[in-house]
Amino acid sequence: MRAQAGVTAPLAQAIAALDLPDDHVLIRSPDREVSAGDVRLIAQMSVMLAGVGVALCIAEPFEMLRALLSLDGRVAALLLLAPDLPAETAQIVMREAGVDRVVTERTDLPSAVTLDSLLTERGEGAPLATQWLLTTSGTTGVPKLVRHERASVFRAVKTPLRPSDADRWAMLYDPSRFAGTQVMAQALLSGACVLTPRSGMTTGETVDRLVEQGCTHISATPSLWRRLLMAPASIRLPLRQITLGGEIADDAILAALRARFPNARVTHIYASTEAGTGFAVRDGKAGFPADWLADGADIDGARLSVRDGMLWLRPPGKARSVAAHIVRDDAGFIRTGDRIMIEGGRARFAGREDTTLNVGGIKVQVEAVEEIVHAHPAVAQCRITAKPSAMMGSLLTLSVVPRAEVDTDPATLRQDIALWCKSRLPPPARPATIRIVQEIPVSIAGKTERATKS
Amino acid sequence: MTQMWAPFAGDGQPLILTPDELRARITALFNEMWREDREDEPPALVDETVLLETGFDSMAFAVLVARLDDELGFDPFTMVDEPVYPQTFAEFVAFYAQCAPKPE
Repeated sequence: MRAQAGVTAPLAQAIAALDLPDDHVLIRSPDREVSAGDVRLIAQMSVMLAGVGVALCIAEPFEMLRALLSLDGRVAALLLLAPDLPAETAQIVMREAGVDRVVTERTDLPSAVTLDSLLTERGEGAPLATQWLLTTSGTTGVPKLVRHERASVFRAVKTPLRPSDADRWAMLYDPSRFAGTQVMAQALLSGACVLTPRSGMTTGETVDRLVEQGCTHISATPSLWRRLLMAPASIRLPLRQITLGGEIADDAILAALRARFPNARVTHIYASTEAGTGFAVRDGKAGFPADWLADGADIDGARLSVRDGMLWLRPPGKARSVAAHIVRDDAGFIRTGDRIMIEGGRARFAGREDTTLNVGGIKVQVEAVEEIVHAHPAVAQCRITAKPSAMMGSLLTLSVVPRAEVDTDPATLRQDIALWCKSRLPPPARPATIRIVQEIPVSIAGKTERATKS
Repeated sequence: MTQMWAPFAGDGQPLILTPDELRARITALFNEMWREDREDEPPALVDETVLLETGFDSMAFAVLVARLDDELGFDPFTMVDEPVYPQTFAEFVAFYAQCAPKPE
């Protein structure tokens, strides 16, 4: 199908231009909806907040999408914050981004404003080239800020010539994440309906709701897919398109999805927040064909190369994303931080650089966790290792050598350290298992250390 | 309590357990993890209990499987070629029983 790539107009204008019937539902939550007519009204509002940057820290996916549609093109910058970001961290990121107002349901963030109050501030002028400020999904420390132009954040979004208004996409990513913005833009600009669960719904309730609403497209992390497969109602999902992203998609999950949903196309996406883009693999096998790494190979407009086992990616067009931590060479290739292994004509992902673990799609910085454990008064030495997990990809195993003068029994010490971590770390960064040992094992492969346990 | 956390019987060999013993171990560890996190009583686990409806999220299940690996010496989810997604508690226990080390 011929399709136009990229989004240059503000989202609401681009969607209004699809000419969908007024009563066509574009966003549906369990109790509210936004129709094409509503989007047309949003697109026509005479509100322009030149020079104003606004942060969005919104837990309800429906409200987040409504805010993005309402503010894109009307403010100088939109800063998308994860809804569970600690208040202090949110303020640091806002300061760094130069943004002083935040739309949120939370009560612990200063300078909170409502979307409706922002939209009553009248102003005239042409639509603004809103900058989209995204944050990386680290769990420890302050998230890194990545600045995008609208055209670069939605570079991969394709507008089909004919709207596919019978498609119903589930919004299972947090819309503040890069992946969430992609699902939103791709669905809405195809004229499809986005089904947003209510925040706090269990996976079982979400699947029941998606079955009821006739969901045809789901994009989720492999971890979330494994969880969806555990919901008994998932067998009744009328899926036509299955997309995996955010973590390595292995052969096991790809095969399980093909078996459960024989009528659906299975695509896995590699996307890099750093590069602001990625590529799709549609042959249903893990990794991607190794010849995509050849000189001159064009992969969805991007170029790929491997140096020292690390994937580098050159985005299509001019490089637009900017952030201090991004490493870019003279030819415009960006270092992704993802390791690659080549085997039998296939390039496979071999995880992040050694100090970052991917736990259910969330990047955990190992040193930061070790530092927190090390601050515990009874800890002399500690080491985090990866423990393979069929459900989350990997989990953290913590080995601790107690200080010589500590005579607490190992079980009590383990519980004490577990509590210490619980009060200082978000769930993915908490060690799943804790071992009290006499020395730190040399091996970094979690499974082989058993023999050294005390 | 301390016993719960003892990973092995001492000689580094995986434990040989009957299906009923396995079930009891899994239930006990589930309850223990529940009480670490919450004030209310853990739900009773019966054969028909749907795992996703227990209130445990996927992270908690992954941690349960990791701790069972430490305690029992095996993780059935990493042992099988075909991926398995147990939906009920009975399926979960049966999967462990199927992959458990058998007496010589």
